[in-house]
Amino acid sequence: MRSRFLLLLMFLAFAAAAQTPAKKYNPARLPDGHPDLQGTYDAATLTPLERGSGTPLVMTKEEAAKQEALAVSAKQQGDKAIDGNRSAPPKGGDGSPGPAGNVGGYNTGWLDPGSTFTVVNGEIRASIIVDPPDGRTPPLVSGAAHRGDSYRLTSIVGLLQAFVTARPRPTSDVTESSDPGLEKTPGAYDDPEARPLGERCLLGFGSTSGPPMLPNYFYNNLHQIVQTPQRVMILTEMVHDVRVVRMNAQHLPKNIRLWLGDSVGHWKGDTLVVDTTNFTDKTAFHGSTPDLHVIERFTRVDDHTLLYRFTIDDPQTWTKPWTGEYSWPEAKGHIYEYACHEGNYALKDILKGARLREKEEAAKAGSK
Amino acid sequence: MQTRSWTCFLFAAVAMCVMSWPLAAHHAFGSEFDANRPVILKGKIVKIEWINPHSWIHVEIVKPDGTKEIWMCEGGSPNTLLRRGANKNTFPEGTEVIIDGYQARDHTELRANARNVTFPDGRKLFLGSTGTGAPNPEDFSTEKARKEGK
Repeated sequence: MRSRFLLLLMFLAFAAAAQTPAKKYNPARLPDGHPDLQGTYDAATLTPLERGSGTPLVMTKEEAAKQEALAVSAKQQGDKAIDGNRSAPPKGGDGSPGPAGNVGGYNTGWLDPGSTFTVVNGEIRASIIVDPPDGRTPPLVSGAAHRGDSYRLTSIVGLLQAFVTARPRPTSDVTESSDPGLEKTPGAYDDPEARPLGERCLLGFGSTSGPPMLPNYFYNNLHQIVQTPQRVMILTEMVHDVRVVRMNAQHLPKNIRLWLGDSVGHWKGDTLVVDTTNFTDKTAFHGSTPDLHVIERFTRVDDHTLLYRFTIDDPQTWTKPWTGEYSWPEAKGHIYEYACHEGNYALKDILKGARLREKEEAAKAGSK
Repeated sequence: MQTRSWTCFLFAAVAMCVMSWPLAAHHAFGSEFDANRPVILKGKIVKIEWINPHSWIHVEIVKPDGTKEIWMCEGGSPNTLLRRGANKNTFPEGTEVIIDGYQARDHTELRANARNVTFPDGRKLFLGSTGTGAPNPEDFSTEKARKEGK
């Protein structure tokens, strides 16, 4: 009887041990008892926002290694020495696409787009979007498809159209690679306000400051968090954008609109939840309206990593809310000031270039 | 003829490399620079403006008639280089460089984009590490740059 009882005890102890979950990570805490999220993080990653149709969320180690090796190889190729006795590039342009507009940009030495795929819960991820499960943004609602078009001021009709439809101006989330050039977008160079926000040094391109805060796949993807019980400050290197999250506060009245939205926060367990509304029509994330609602969740998952998760909801734009997540590893270097206006000679040169181009074209037309 | 084909090959290799990077520029270079004004600038660094959104490398060149010109060449954001260990002393005044690019559309300005910035032997001045911001101090040793500047 006694031995049976002992056996039963042993069985129960074994079963209890088997059911005990892995030891929960207990982060360092501030005096208010909440996890210390402070630090500088590098959000650069190879993982894109969306993944290819029909591909799984989780990558195999082999596939990730293969892709990462390709990225390394592209970088090494770009860093290779070239001919010291080279001549000038070809007259008429070098054929480079996008914003490099047939004259080339600058070489890979300046870039730092990330070299690894993001890892979440031990899984190597092929997309930042986790919901919808196919890793793609949900379908747009009717009427939202062309909302993201650039602001065009080509004529009185264009002006009226922009006014009537409240078509947004160029926004922070577009990459400037989508710049179609002088010929294809009449009006794109007509005034400084028609230029992309990144080019104007107003906000980082690629939605770096967000919300949601995304990697720009280019360079300077650093964020710094400073935390007090009343406020959490998030500094984004591009372009020195600062968000101040008011803890346990109510949103501002609806008529007060902010470029980065109005962010209020609260703790849910050990996760900082940040709720942002009150956007303007000056920044449209993937064509969203000023009624965009973003919920972000910041969780420390180990001493050197935060998990950043966000849910996007804008019923006037998408047919359903969608969610993404990726890791923010601790940065290896410092975050630096990005005093963008200080050296933005380029904007003047871009606009002046457009004026000269117009003169040339007018002269050509006149001589015909 | 052989040199010409070799140059063409090199150009093709560089162009392919530049084009393989999906985002080779941060803003509209196409409006800023003139595709019909290619330049190759060989000279000495007189100043580097480590400023955002783009660094500007000032290079003094000597023209065939002996007169001198100072050109400003547009590079990328300095922040990435700073994280890799570069600083204002990394490429001292007098460092010999070769820069290829295109002149600004406004030809009254001695400005060009710095498509490639190399030492006279063709090695790139700004080498990228493969990590995210991992310092690569060897590539930025002042001593090494000084030697190259001789």
